[in-house]
Amino acid sequence: MSPNTHTVAPHRPEAKARRTPKANGRKRWTPAEAVVAIVILALVLVVASPVFYAFLNSFRTYAEITRDPMGLPTTFNLNNYFELFQRTDYGEAILNTLIITVVTVVLLVLLVPMAAYGIERIGGRLSKFFYFLFIAGLMIPFQVRMIPLVKGFDDVGLYSTLTSVILVHLGGAASFGVLLYCSFIKGIPIEVEEAAHVDGASRLRTFWLIVFPMLLPVTSAFVIIQALGLWNDFFVPLVFLDSSSAGTINVAINRMMGLLTSQWQLIYTGAILAIIPSVVLFAAFQRYFIKGMSVGAVKG
Amino acid sequence: MSEKTPLLDDEPVVATAEQVHGGSLVEVAPDDELSERASVTPLAVRRRGFGVGRWAMLAFIAPALVVYLLMVIIPSVQSLQLSFTNWDGISDGYEYVGFRNYRDILFSGRFWNAVRNTLLLGLGSALVINVVSLVMALLLDRLEHFQGFFRTAVYLPSLVSGFILATIWKYLLNFNFGSVNTILRDLGLDGWAMDWLGNSDIVVWVILFIVCFTLGGNTTLIYLANLQSVPQELVEAAKIDGANGRKVFRHVTWPMLAGAVTVNMTLAMIAGWTIFDQVMVLTAGGPGFISETMAFFIYKVGFGEYRAGYGSAAAIVLFIVVIASTVLANTYMRKREIQA
Repeated sequence: MSPNTHTVAPHRPEAKARRTPKANGRKRWTPAEAVVAIVILALVLVVASPVFYAFLNSFRTYAEITRDPMGLPTTFNLNNYFELFQRTDYGEAILNTLIITVVTVVLLVLLVPMAAYGIERIGGRLSKFFYFLFIAGLMIPFQVRMIPLVKGFDDVGLYSTLTSVILVHLGGAASFGVLLYCSFIKGIPIEVEEAAHVDGASRLRTFWLIVFPMLLPVTSAFVIIQALGLWNDFFVPLVFLDSSSAGTINVAINRMMGLLTSQWQLIYTGAILAIIPSVVLFAAFQRYFIKGMSVGAVKG
Repeated sequence: MSEKTPLLDDEPVVATAEQVHGGSLVEVAPDDELSERASVTPLAVRRRGFGVGRWAMLAFIAPALVVYLLMVIIPSVQSLQLSFTNWDGISDGYEYVGFRNYRDILFSGRFWNAVRNTLLLGLGSALVINVVSLVMALLLDRLEHFQGFFRTAVYLPSLVSGFILATIWKYLLNFNFGSVNTILRDLGLDGWAMDWLGNSDIVVWVILFIVCFTLGGNTTLIYLANLQSVPQELVEAAKIDGANGRKVFRHVTWPMLAGAVTVNMTLAMIAGWTIFDQVMVLTAGGPGFISETMAFFIYKVGFGEYRAGYGSAAAIVLFIVVIASTVLANTYMRKREIQA
């Protein structure tokens, strides 16, 4: 059995096509199907309700929220959004989060596919050794390496810098990346590379010009999964960024909650602002997203 | 040459490939078999003449490897070392104390409480999220119209991070001004209104509820992709043999999903063992130490209480739990997978 056994869907587009015949538009809604559709929408609304609630309350003042928690906003009032940037470090926190996310993702895409390619092509026992060395990281929770890392970064003067957060994330994401890329590279015929080699291309050129473009489906999945994960992460920046830094979005919100009189309206506003980039990213790359998640279904 | 059909045009390419292999016999295989072959045949045999060598490949691996070693492997080993010390996390020196930290942990009620919570939250959330996701995938699979729209709708809620969701819930559940209690009071159910996050009898269950308050997102997509690749002929055949919907699911669909179940349960459990964000936001482990998880315990002890050695020992225990549960779950679940 090849390790790709569970890489579903992408290799079998016909499986999906089967379900959506051309005559789809003319097909009638059956009652059963309508019920299913309504149930799905109802569930989505229920699960999304806390976010809607936060969204509505981001237009209300603290007094309004505490007087009537279930009230609706009476005016379209953007004060909270302005205040969040004026009174807190939220702007800087957004910038920090953006830097961490972008730099980490770029470095991952530069390092991981190349490493996975090397692991697959080095051959023999070394292949196996490096593969398992990297995969082992999947089972090492962040908590296990957290305390020595804080000490280490402190020793070299990098504690509470964005660099430390980025480096920690790089190490953490390498395992998953190697797993994802290796299972995909296995399916790439080596003949293509050999042909390029015969034509005189160096290994590095061969990789970036011939192999890397073929890895695009995995790369898009990897980038999206990582970008979302990095944007949403709370634990790593919480541990590695102290009060000398504005922190990331989540750390900043967490600090606001810790204040004696937490400003609920600002926290709701911050929460909504934190979600928007994820939704934009999702909207922009939806197609790759759904496909990518299916590629991600590699056997662990 | 120019009169050749596109199909025949492929032939020279194959021939070139064979020559590069140093004349070794490589039969012309359809594309999907190539992967199989590549993983079976030793590369050294296949690639005579294509060896700028292993050093080049090693150079490809090196950058990622260095980062990985420095950020994951070495700190993990250091953690093991620190777990045998009484280091407080700030001073320069420490002493080796043997297995004292481990002994203290095993006799600590607080730690076992954290283990219980972790098991409840980890296993509980993995089960609930998988059931919910499977149900959502089955529902989505029933739809013939607007599949893309509904799939997107189901996925959207999972874009909200656990941290943000927990933050919003913290205020929804506030005793005085939270909307949950407000709604209950408005409905005349004053007796039901309670301090959801301050009541030690229910607080862990409340956290479990919030962790599971999702439609699954990725998990659902993985199940859906697998559902849609179940051969329709099997389902038809079962129906012709007189199986009803439930039987088709039990005997055809469910076994075909075994691989997806393994993947999803494993991923959900690994995530579950390290639940931290929700606890940190909602209760900070309280009231008292009641709602601590192992991840939170390690954080709190290591950084908040200046017992880094002790925290490291707890981290090593967590590591053992993760390894053991992953291996056990995989061995058990792989058994029921269809070997196709």
